[in-house]
Amino acid sequence: MLKVPYTTGYLSEHFADDEYATLAGYERRGGYRALKQVLAEVAPADVIELVKASGLQGRGGAGFSTGLKWSFMPKDGGKPKYLVCNADESEPGSFKDRILMERGPHQLLEGILIAAWATGAEKTFVYVRGEYREPADRVERAVAELYEKGYLGPKVMKKAFRHDVVVQRGAGAYICGEETGLLESLEGKKGQPRKKPPFPAQHGAFGMPTTVNNVETFCHVPHIVLRGAEWFRGIGTEKSPGSTIFGVSGQVQRPGLFELPLGTRLDEIVFEHAGGPLPGRKVKGVIPGGMSMPILPAHQLDVPMANEFLRERKTMLGTGGIMVMDDTTCMVRASCVISWFFRDESCGQCTQCREGTGWMHKIIERIERGAGQPDDLAILLDVAAKMEGQTICAFSDAAAWPVQGMLRHFREDFERHVALGHCPFGECFEL
Amino acid sequence: MVISPATRARIDAEIAKYPKPRGALLPALHLVHADHGHVSPETARELAEIFAIAPVDVLEVVSFYNMFFDRPQPRHHAYVCTNLPCSLRGARALLRRLEEHLGVHAGEPTPDGRLVLGHEECLGACGYAPMMRVDGDYHEDLDFERARRILDALE
Amino acid sequence: MPKISVDDRVLEVPEGMTILQALDAAGLLMNGVDVPHYCWHPKLSIDGSCRLCQVEIEGMPKLQIACNTLVQDGMVVRTTTERVTKAREGVMELLLVNHPLDCPICDQAGECKLQDYAYEYGALESRTREPRRALKKRVDLGPTIVFDQERCILCRRCVRFCREVPGTGELGVVNRGDRSVIETFPGTQLENDYSMNVADICPVGALTTKDFRFKIRVWFLEDVPGICTGCANGCNVHLGVANNRVYRYVPRRNDAVNQTWICDEGRLSYKEIEAGRLRAASVRGERGAVEVSVEAALAEAAARLRGVLESRGPGAVGVLASPHATNEDLAVLRRLADALGVETRGVAVPVGRADQLLIKAEKAANAEGARRLGFGPAAAVLDRVRQGAVLALLVLGHDALDSGDLASPAELAGLAALVVLDTHQSPLHLVAHVAVPTRVAAEKHGTLTNAAGLVQAVQPAVEPAFEAWSEAEALWRLGVLLGLEGFAGRFDPGAFAAAAS
Repeated sequence: MLKVPYTTGYLSEHFADDEYATLAGYERRGGYRALKQVLAEVAPADVIELVKASGLQGRGGAGFSTGLKWSFMPKDGGKPKYLVCNADESEPGSFKDRILMERGPHQLLEGILIAAWATGAEKTFVYVRGEYREPADRVERAVAELYEKGYLGPKVMKKAFRHDVVVQRGAGAYICGEETGLLESLEGKKGQPRKKPPFPAQHGAFGMPTTVNNVETFCHVPHIVLRGAEWFRGIGTEKSPGSTIFGVSGQVQRPGLFELPLGTRLDEIVFEHAGGPLPGRKVKGVIPGGMSMPILPAHQLDVPMANEFLRERKTMLGTGGIMVMDDTTCMVRASCVISWFFRDESCGQCTQCREGTGWMHKIIERIERGAGQPDDLAILLDVAAKMEGQTICAFSDAAAWPVQGMLRHFREDFERHVALGHCPFGECFEL
Repeated sequence: MVISPATRARIDAEIAKYPKPRGALLPALHLVHADHGHVSPETARELAEIFAIAPVDVLEVVSFYNMFFDRPQPRHHAYVCTNLPCSLRGARALLRRLEEHLGVHAGEPTPDGRLVLGHEECLGACGYAPMMRVDGDYHEDLDFERARRILDALE
Repeated sequence: MPKISVDDRVLEVPEGMTILQALDAAGLLMNGVDVPHYCWHPKLSIDGSCRLCQVEIEGMPKLQIACNTLVQDGMVVRTTTERVTKAREGVMELLLVNHPLDCPICDQAGECKLQDYAYEYGALESRTREPRRALKKRVDLGPTIVFDQERCILCRRCVRFCREVPGTGELGVVNRGDRSVIETFPGTQLENDYSMNVADICPVGALTTKDFRFKIRVWFLEDVPGICTGCANGCNVHLGVANNRVYRYVPRRNDAVNQTWICDEGRLSYKEIEAGRLRAASVRGERGAVEVSVEAALAEAAARLRGVLESRGPGAVGVLASPHATNEDLAVLRRLADALGVETRGVAVPVGRADQLLIKAEKAANAEGARRLGFGPAAAVLDRVRQGAVLALLVLGHDALDSGDLASPAELAGLAALVVLDTHQSPLHLVAHVAVPTRVAAEKHGTLTNAAGLVQAVQPAVEPAFEAWSEAEALWRLGVLLGLEGFAGRFDPGAFAAAAS
């Protein structure tokens, strides 16, 4: 299997070149021209306007307008300001940030430096999930190269602009991908998300104004600077411009990464780019955006991969982690795996999440064992409803959505378990 | 002192990077794990002292994260991802065969203290499933033979 | 000041308060406006994790937690809507999923917020079929507290308390998700001067005190408001009374005196109401002390005092007040001394350790009251005894021994008349000619003045099981027996107060 994306674009077109991960290799390909341009001729406020005009949305799953987020940082010079690069990528099905760090660390750092210039941030903490040792090593090497060349430090590129980058490694907790959970972990505590308000732009890392952005979000920025907002808007859809790197996994012929414009149809990605189902099998369901997003059945894959369309189908783009399940897969068993994940990763603060993730998993596991009762499904949906919209962070919602999606489209799998008293899918993977 | 002077110096270097010292706690814990594989109560007390927090605060952090341990560990860790995309590509069957091969259940160390085989959640290698993380290294696109050879090579 | 409306009731609220704080400050919280809550506590940092205090706020699509939402002028809050009701039901159901069915053996029953809120706001039936998680049920957390991990609802009040109030931070929440559990660091205990407060603030029976464990069901207890008499802080308490016994103290909220706290030593001082009491009056004869009635003892006391007064005059008489007696007791003592013409008067105050929180150095509840009634340092009195100038001493309590003003009772052995009115047994009585049992604060009406000069009232919660008079009654009778002007009949607190003012 190729590690570089099967289809590339402006983000990944040079990933096959091993030198691209070095400063020299990156500059040879035109890297750091955007930063030079910005430092020479674009005022910080204008950079923010540019990014706003481009319509770039965060690529970490929430899809918030990046330019708008940057504009929340205070303009005055009172307190030190920080950027945080959320490299905690832990959403099952997502593996795009990993390759962006492994093969394009300087693209990421250039985006960070442009963001720093725009927001007045003096330091960036790159928080990389602990298990991503190689990607974190490569980012650290790239950072060292930048210090050596004077692209980081007290006078970036000899301008009156100082910036430092610190790479911190996480230690294995999905919830540290949540913005404020990350900040808590960065500060040396348990990664338990914070109550909001206050929001990070007022009270973020170490109490200072902070902007948190996903790895991929930063990576788009140098391209937007070099080619303009119009160019960026020309890719993707009207409401969701630009490209993203989709990750396709599961029961397909060609799992891997695919850089494609937002709005590319899901069935095109699954059947054409990823080669469709394995021989002799049919697609049964596809989770479009990482495991938190509700599943779509096979007959609903004709949907452009962009939030404005996915929302109509009661699901979302998330992190573009596309997981394909074929007709050998038992959706109850899949739900066991999914609900166990959420039970294991709940930080445990909020009542609904802590108890609800546990309860849902126990019910689903009991149904899979063949001890399900008819009213268990109604209880599951009721518990899911009680977990939505009422907690400190969206993890509780993310735990509820997959269950709702499964029962919306694959209720029959559950009902058969209850009626039969055992799992009817003999060919499915064993738990 | 459990924490060696060299490691203490590295911890101090990390502390210098942060506006508040406690920001370096996770880096310090990684350094301690690199030396000893776990955080003993004594080490936790030393860290509590360095970071001016209560020992129970250190314990909270150690217990929260999958990569930190509060008791001695086998020499090697091998984790097979058994999340959904990997399960769809045979990860659980692979794990089962490896369990049989080693004569252990996932999560139990081998009797000689050499190795523990376990489950892990998504490691960001979904397109290259099944896979495992052995002593921090990723081994992807596995079949049983390759996986077996990797584990057998661990001393 | 911002104006908000809560269930159509308009409140003016100081800037910077949350909705819960505003309701609490207005005295409405759970007392007119119901916003049930677990993790919030008026004296601890905001946690926001229990999610029970969610309310509806006009203009905000999601329910908001009242504990963390700052009031804004014009805010319209609703606590009784369908959405709020369903949200509360949801939280209650989820909390009960793993909670053990311990009520029949749990000390908290009857004052348990899980019981109360499940009844008020929860669904009628349980739908869970899953086995509850099994954890440790009798963790010996330290010298004073037992911890049941299964009952814990992870409101984290105890963790925040230990970090924020005594500052000792012994507790933490380890693991994550539904494996979260509260623990101390291995080899450490929950051990600080205020440890037992965690049992008060724990909404359920997860943290209970060893002292109260299995003693009595709380619904048998009557809560009588009172004051702790352990030191000069005068922490407000409720005495838990049943069967004419005090089973415990729990702190009573008074933001000016003790917030919602009490120190462990003060909390346990309820035991002194019963333990070591002087239970009978006695008169010393040739063959030692003989038990007599209080009346008889007072008659003997009067005779002895009269003896010294007549032979040497009032200058040979001294009085030592007690810093434990009430202002009313001490006012009668002053009146008696005035009527006798006795100027040698003082009070001995035992002192000990103090801290930055509640614990005061003076280990009595009315030292300040005694001083304000004209009783100066005891040394002045005792020096005159040592010089042989004072031959008769009327003493309340035995504080001079506790304070060290007296090295030993032997120092008073040469007195011609030593009359002691005391609540508790003491070696001092061995050299007294007359000893008369008196009442403690929990057995009478009266006031006590704390270190800050605040005058607080006590009332009788129990009756002594033996004959004991208040100091005021006993001293008044003494005055009558001595034939002093102004002393007649029985002590009448009302008339006395009127006359005194």
